[in-house]
Amino acid sequence: MTARSLLTDRRDSVTARPWRRPGRTALGPATRFAYRIAAAVFALVLWQVAVVSGLVSNAAVATPTDIVQEAAPLLATPAFGAALFDTITSWAEGLLVSLVVAIPVGLALGTSDLAYRVSRFTIDFLRTIPPVALIPVALLLYGATPKMAFALIVFGSVWPVLLQAMYGVHQVDPAMWDVARAYGLRRLDRLRFLILPSAAPFVATGVRLAATISLLLAIGAELIGGAPGIGAAITLQQQNGDIPKMWVYVVVSAVLGVVLNLALIGLERRVLKWHSAQRSVVAA
Amino acid sequence: MAFSATVRGRGLSHRLLSVLAEVALPVIAIALWWVLSANSTSLYFPPLSKIMAAFQRIWLFGHFDSDAVPSLENLAVGLLIATAVGVAVGMLLGLLPILSDAVLPTVEFLRAVPGVALLPAALLLLGIGPEMKISLIAYGTVWPVLLNTVDGVRGVDPVAVEVGASYRLRRPDRLFRIILPAASPQIVAGMRSALSIGITVIIFSEMVGSTDGIGFQILSAQRNFAVADMWAGIVMLGVLGYVLNIGFRGLENRLLRWHRGMRNSAGS
Repeated sequence: MTARSLLTDRRDSVTARPWRRPGRTALGPATRFAYRIAAAVFALVLWQVAVVSGLVSNAAVATPTDIVQEAAPLLATPAFGAALFDTITSWAEGLLVSLVVAIPVGLALGTSDLAYRVSRFTIDFLRTIPPVALIPVALLLYGATPKMAFALIVFGSVWPVLLQAMYGVHQVDPAMWDVARAYGLRRLDRLRFLILPSAAPFVATGVRLAATISLLLAIGAELIGGAPGIGAAITLQQQNGDIPKMWVYVVVSAVLGVVLNLALIGLERRVLKWHSAQRSVVAA
Repeated sequence: MAFSATVRGRGLSHRLLSVLAEVALPVIAIALWWVLSANSTSLYFPPLSKIMAAFQRIWLFGHFDSDAVPSLENLAVGLLIATAVGVAVGMLLGLLPILSDAVLPTVEFLRAVPGVALLPAALLLLGIGPEMKISLIAYGTVWPVLLNTVDGVRGVDPVAVEVGASYRLRRPDRLFRIILPAASPQIVAGMRSALSIGITVIIFSEMVGSTDGIGFQILSAQRNFAVADMWAGIVMLGVLGYVLNIGFRGLENRLLRWHRGMRNSAGS
């Protein structure tokens, strides 16, 4: 072994040494925050340069500065408020109804081995049908209305919640079933003290998945099907050839996604504070 | 002998019963659909026999080459690009905690942009060709692969990495023989979510900007009020989605067989 390769090898082993656990860096919170801002600014500058230099056509992509300039007056218009309201309403209604349907059904299917077996193939098949494929059907039945978006959202977001609820029941510690039986817990008490607590974190994950899918479908239904909302506004601005305005709506849809997701994570932490999985996350 | 035969016999009939239980509901549902819709005069819900006739006429195999194959090709290429980029960037970020800590908020934001919302811009930029669809699929599916790779790399057992380092394995060996395999279950899980996102994105893009593909077929059938053709397309998508999922599960089993074996032996 030459001296040189020895040296490089040694350097390699040194760089590999400080193996850090997820989320822990040696940096203080202020530095980390500054780095994060720097990364975001860098991405924005990259975007700006790509468009200004003509690498990406400005007939399709607006620069960040243009988007900000357009956003200020646009966000104050009633049309924007209405679009935002329509999208959020479709999202919330669709999500809520799918939760009301999927959680009880999922829990019930989870408790019965027979029901699980009988329904497994059917659920597997139905959930692989991409909900977008049903846009034409929803259009035929309801036209370009919020109802059409609603139907689509329910079909798309029912499955993840249902599967997670089912899976959550399967995760109940078998010994706990025996304890419940030995103490002669009644059905309702078993649900209250045994099934719900152990399934809750899984259901919460399902809810978050469903929330993302719901937003995607809400915007998709508006964009393709013409139901009123942010998606329809994107199409409208594209047809008007007003690219910066179109991008304002695109950015708004992303912000909406981030905000809704953060809100749900916050809610999950609050509701499931007692759960060990949550506690370890908070402690880490 | 006799004992093992009866056990095997019972196992077989038990398995038969459980298969029957799984198949019963779909068979009953389809039979009900067939019978209840047989005399249907509803414009929106034609008899199932008509839908199946349309299915046979369109998808076996008249339009299969011209409409299903391009969809599948675009999906495959888009997913391939997303996987390559996602794994490469994900490994880099997973190995450089300071960089990933700085970049991940930006990544989370980019991920939150619904692929659908970018469709009009992608149309303007790339037209209605396969490039547009492939880019949109790659954009939509790269995030789950990337984020899962970061998680997977960070979750690699530090002892394994330190053993590699103390044995003075060279950097590529450490990367491809320790870290990548250890992260692969997570990566495959990311690819699985990428697959279902990819199917959604391809149908979307075909509905809006395309002259072929399954999504285009379904939407144009609806616009011409050819309702049976529309349902046939939806049935086709259901079958295709299911087959793709089964195929992926098979792939997953092959790729991760060693992993499962390891877990089982560790567990027992």
